[in-house]
Amino acid sequence: MEYTYYPGCSLHSVNKQYDKSCKAVFEKLDIKLNELEDWNCCGATFYMSVDEITSLSIAARNLALAEKSKNDLMAPCSSCFTVLSKTNRFLRRHEELHKNINSILQSIGLEYNLSVRVRHPLDILVNDVGFELIRMKVKHPLTGLRIANYYGCQIVRPEKGFDDRENPVTMDKLFEMLDADSVYFPVKVKCCGAMSMITAEDVALKLIYEILNTAIENDADLIVTTCPLCQMNLEAYQDKVNKKFQTNLRIPIYYFTQVLGVALGIDDEKLGINNNFYISEKLREISRAPMLTTIYDGPTDELKRRQIK
Amino acid sequence: MNNDSIKIGVYICHCGVNISQTVDVERVAERVKRNPLVVVSRTYKFMCSDPGQELIRKDIQELGLNRVVVAACSPQMHELTFRNNCERAGLNRYLLQIANIREQCSWVHDDIELATIKATSLVNAAIKRVAKQIPLTPLKAKINPDTLIIGGGIAGIQAALDIAESGRNVYLVEKESTIGGQMAKFDKTFPTLDCAACILTPKMVSVSHRKNIKLLTLSEVEDVRGYIGNFKVKIRKKSRYVIEKCTSCGECAKVCPVKVPNAFDHFLKDRTAIHKLFPQAIPNTYVIDKQERPPCIETCPIRQEAAGYIALIREGRFEAAAKLIRNRNPLAIVCGRICYHPCETACNRGFVDKPLAIQQLKRFAMDWALKNNGINEPPEISEEKDIKVAIIGSGPAGLVCAFDLRLKGYKVTVFEQHSVIGGMLAVGIPEYRLPKSLLNMEIEMMKKMGVDFKVNSKFGEDFTIDTLTKDGYKAIFLAIGAHKGIKMDIPGEELDGVITGVEFLRKVNLGIKQYIGKHVAVIGGGNTAIDAARTAIRLGAEKVSILYRRSKMEMPASPEEIKDAEDEGVLISYLTAPVEVIGKNGKVTHLKCIRMQLGEPDSSGRRRPIPVPDSEYIVEFDQVIVAISQTPDLSCIQHNSNYRLNISKYGTLEVNSDTLQTNVPFIFAGGDVVLGPATVIAAMGMGRRAAESIDKYLNNEPLINYKTHMPAREIIRAESFKPHSYAKTYSEIEKIERVEIPKRDPSIRKFDFKEVDIGLSEKEAIYEASRCLNCGVCVECLECVKVCEPGAINHNMKDEVVEVDVGQIIVSTGYNLFDASLLYQYGYGKLENIYNSLEFERILNSTGPTGGKILLKNGKEPRAIGIIHCVGSRDQNFNKYCSRVCCMYAMKFAHLIKDRTSAEVYQFYIDMRAYGKGYEEFYSRILNEGVNVIRGKVAEVVQREITNGESILVIKCEDTLIGKYREVPVDMVILCNAIEPSTDTAKLGRLLGISRSPDGFFLERHPKLDPFSTPNDGIYIAGCAQGPKDIPDTVAQASGAAAKVLSLISKGEIEIDPIIAKVNEELCSGCRICNILCPYNAIEFIEEKKVSFVNDALCKGCGTCVAACPAGAITGQGFTDEQIYSEIEGLLEI
Repeated sequence: MEYTYYPGCSLHSVNKQYDKSCKAVFEKLDIKLNELEDWNCCGATFYMSVDEITSLSIAARNLALAEKSKNDLMAPCSSCFTVLSKTNRFLRRHEELHKNINSILQSIGLEYNLSVRVRHPLDILVNDVGFELIRMKVKHPLTGLRIANYYGCQIVRPEKGFDDRENPVTMDKLFEMLDADSVYFPVKVKCCGAMSMITAEDVALKLIYEILNTAIENDADLIVTTCPLCQMNLEAYQDKVNKKFQTNLRIPIYYFTQVLGVALGIDDEKLGINNNFYISEKLREISRAPMLTTIYDGPTDELKRRQIK
Repeated sequence: MNNDSIKIGVYICHCGVNISQTVDVERVAERVKRNPLVVVSRTYKFMCSDPGQELIRKDIQELGLNRVVVAACSPQMHELTFRNNCERAGLNRYLLQIANIREQCSWVHDDIELATIKATSLVNAAIKRVAKQIPLTPLKAKINPDTLIIGGGIAGIQAALDIAESGRNVYLVEKESTIGGQMAKFDKTFPTLDCAACILTPKMVSVSHRKNIKLLTLSEVEDVRGYIGNFKVKIRKKSRYVIEKCTSCGECAKVCPVKVPNAFDHFLKDRTAIHKLFPQAIPNTYVIDKQERPPCIETCPIRQEAAGYIALIREGRFEAAAKLIRNRNPLAIVCGRICYHPCETACNRGFVDKPLAIQQLKRFAMDWALKNNGINEPPEISEEKDIKVAIIGSGPAGLVCAFDLRLKGYKVTVFEQHSVIGGMLAVGIPEYRLPKSLLNMEIEMMKKMGVDFKVNSKFGEDFTIDTLTKDGYKAIFLAIGAHKGIKMDIPGEELDGVITGVEFLRKVNLGIKQYIGKHVAVIGGGNTAIDAARTAIRLGAEKVSILYRRSKMEMPASPEEIKDAEDEGVLISYLTAPVEVIGKNGKVTHLKCIRMQLGEPDSSGRRRPIPVPDSEYIVEFDQVIVAISQTPDLSCIQHNSNYRLNISKYGTLEVNSDTLQTNVPFIFAGGDVVLGPATVIAAMGMGRRAAESIDKYLNNEPLINYKTHMPAREIIRAESFKPHSYAKTYSEIEKIERVEIPKRDPSIRKFDFKEVDIGLSEKEAIYEASRCLNCGVCVECLECVKVCEPGAINHNMKDEVVEVDVGQIIVSTGYNLFDASLLYQYGYGKLENIYNSLEFERILNSTGPTGGKILLKNGKEPRAIGIIHCVGSRDQNFNKYCSRVCCMYAMKFAHLIKDRTSAEVYQFYIDMRAYGKGYEEFYSRILNEGVNVIRGKVAEVVQREITNGESILVIKCEDTLIGKYREVPVDMVILCNAIEPSTDTAKLGRLLGISRSPDGFFLERHPKLDPFSTPNDGIYIAGCAQGPKDIPDTVAQASGAAAKVLSLISKGEIEIDPIIAKVNEELCSGCRICNILCPYNAIEFIEEKKVSFVNDALCKGCGTCVAACPAGAITGQGFTDEQIYSEIEGLLEI
């Protein structure tokens, strides 16, 4: 299996851990990632509301470049994923628009014929790679780890994608397969505030507070996310939240590829875990435990018993 | 038809201005007058009015019209009116044609010019057509005055009572075990707050008392044929297992050991297998919930009720368990020790973790009985019969046959060649597996019953078949077993020290001294080889080796036995076989063996052992025990010259596999003599079957319809199933460790012949019995039968299919609730203390799970309750319609909560629908009681922990009246689920051939003017089957449907429109294409004439056959080709 890799701006700057851990995980699973040559910024979510044609052209340029290989395009950042997916959808539905954008692309010698599939690594891991293959490579089962799976709002919305819009379970099932407990987390698709942290801080802090509080109330050891913006929002402003709400909340925020990487036996350095603000002691213990010498059997019955309770 | 005689009158309606506004009706009337056949052409403002009608009648009478065309609104509106009008004037009603110039012309066009031209074409078409029409006579069908009502809720009950009141007969069919429907579950009803049971039960009791209402509960309609006035309906009455004698005393439920969740209480409370759904059930008798029979009972060759005694052991009722076992099994103590337990292999618990240790439980029960009661008394014998039966052989087959026949009262004599009784049980199985003292106790019981045993009597020597018949024995059961050991057929076998396994064991069991070597070889891999090996160890052999020619996987001995042997020091060598016995001075000294390898499978399915060339080797042995299988010794049978019994190619006796009769009618056979060396329980099963066969034979009954069980039924199992319909699936059930079977220490036990198994303790037995899943719910422990004084329980009842003839059918199958777990934002099924409306009704009801108290799961009283309206109703994603009753019952809940608790109540609504009599006043009342009503759709319900660690629910919603987002903390949430058509609606619709509207409810003929009838004549609908409604509306609709039914019965016969198909027999080629195509199954094929025939009453005139007939042999009356072509001509002329 091979995929074209589109890191996007944030994975190459502030959120390098996501890039590192994503690449490390797929390497461990023997899947080749070819970084898209000469990619450009996707325009991020907001540009589309400002200038549709320009933003679609910028995004379509990446798709045109990606079309050169026959592989699917993997976009780990949720915003990039949404922008590229939306671009695909708009161009597929509106022929006029497609012609328009293509004429713009032609001026730089490119053309886009709508054949690229934009995928999120979570979707690829669960649906393409599959649990069996991952299970074969597990070295540290995550037994006893309590995880709050935070999907954010962009990877399952607005249109129906690879999971349910109100109650997605892909990540929950992935970590349950690794014998972790996915805790009750009703705010799993509630917005983290996104850019409004900059423009309307009060609103964003309230949203962040609710997510952090729910995770802690349900005894989660850490929150896993799929989006660099969510990760930053939830991680970087915990002090501000505490100050505003007079609370004492503290919880580590990891990328799902980092936690998966630990389970696959990749060391912390390669996963960029040292770049996280808050380290989960429990996860560190698990990563330091001796690696499995036999093939991992799958989640224990203990897990079922823990869940039934 | 002679054109000159046609006189057509054309009448064009203005329809007020509906038509004349767009169509110039005068011009049309003028234009069509040109047709020579048109005698008069008029217009009028309202043709359908009285003067309009009279106009036509006058013209018919005065001008001698014989055809009429009316150009007006759709025929659906007034065709009937105009037809009746023609008839009144003396003209055949089918000589009329309607041209629809309203719905199909004036209402859909704007351009007057074009509309007028179109109207002219339409009228012209009608004129040309009507000229070709001929008079038709409607058919008459008689109406059977009996009525069938499907569904026994309040609608069905009301309709039944109304019809019965008139003196007519009603069949009321209900699929549950009681009538009452959903209403029986309610506590109070709105707006009067009457108790539901108080207003419903008197009606239910009336139904049961009326002689002309035949109540069929636990019944379902299986097939419906026929047409209005003449329906033939097949109804399946499922077995109740309790007959009418039941006085409803309830003693049976007190002793039933099985509990399952009660569907009537919506699974909030348990009930026993024998139960009544609720105290006021009608019929007021109990019912036994028996689903697919447990595999342990079904696989047992003697049909021992394993699940039954396991359930009793679990409850600590050991004496009852032992009695249950003993009732069916004279060798219960023996089986508890040595049976090969096919029940355990079949046990469904094996799909969860490990099968139950059923044999150990049986042993425990019998041991307990021995210790506490002494020997069980034998069961009672029915009346004595003066008929003698001989049983030859006292092995397990013979003993069970003797037991069963003796119970039936026959005079039974068992002949046994040895001095000890028991066959292989006595002379084959070693003492450490089956203490002979225990076997003798069972035999003593049989002697007590009156079975006569004659020992030291050898068949063929001491008695023959001739002597038996001379002595007056009327039937013989031959069960002499397979006691002859098979020889290896290798050189040296006749040396001293070589002995067969069976002979070796027999000598030990009979106490005959024999030679025991120091190094003993046992050849073979079955239980006999293991028995011989372990016996040799106990008798002092230093080294005992089993030599088996295949590998461990193919070894036929049971794994437990193999392990026991190895624990005691027996050595087992695989893939080796002897080729020569080597001796000195006539005694064994060595064995020459050869290595084997596994080749292709043989006829038994096991891989064939093939000698490995040049692999011989020699081992020192001073005794060789040959245990490679046995065969029956049939030499004794040859002594009977008058009776030649057929022998199979395997050396066994041939019998009919069902009846167990040999080729001689009065001689039956079973056990190892027929099967070859098999198992004890299989032999017992054959003995039981033979007893039933012999009983039938001696009563001159045909040898068919057996009740006994042999061979045991094949069980089809699939992992996705559950043990019964209220249980979780096997993969979801929690795993529990199987009990460990205690045995004596091997290092000690190998020196004596005392029993190796110790047996379970009381605690261990109850623990193991608790793992039983109660497959099929009722476990046939028969405790209920014991306590039922009127003797109303019959576990052998079978389903009955009855056929009834009725004239009309009312469908009142009610509703089910929308499954709220589909709206996962509301947490139903995931979070605690969230209930749907029927569940909450049960909580409110004093016969429900909390006795009428409103409590949380943890037993505390709720401080605040939220009621959410429109769950699954008024929802684009689920049901678009409004369920009509939820606002009112939500208010009812609010009031009752306020009445019984001090909780705060919040109601989340979209609109408050309080439209009925007394409803608005009820709304004001609850507002005054301080119920908080919040107008806004609820987004989600989540769980939160509050400061002291307890969990509460939070309802997130918008309050549109104050324009704010709110989070309301509550302890309990009640959902108002949408009312959906009941689950059988689709199936029933197909059976009856009635349609449903897009929302799934049955379709009425007209939503305003006729909500009771369906487009199918003779079938009516009432209650929630037609659409959601409250109780007053349901009762009204039910009475309305009853009125319709009675009016037709009163008429006595009905007219059927003759617009039907007719087959011209001369043209019909008999291809039968029409037979298959007819959607109403109305076409039959007449074999003698080889033509098809249309049943007048069933044909609905759809025209499919007319179009399909390749020979053009079918005409649609009133729609002939000629008529249709003329109509088309008329359209195209203008």
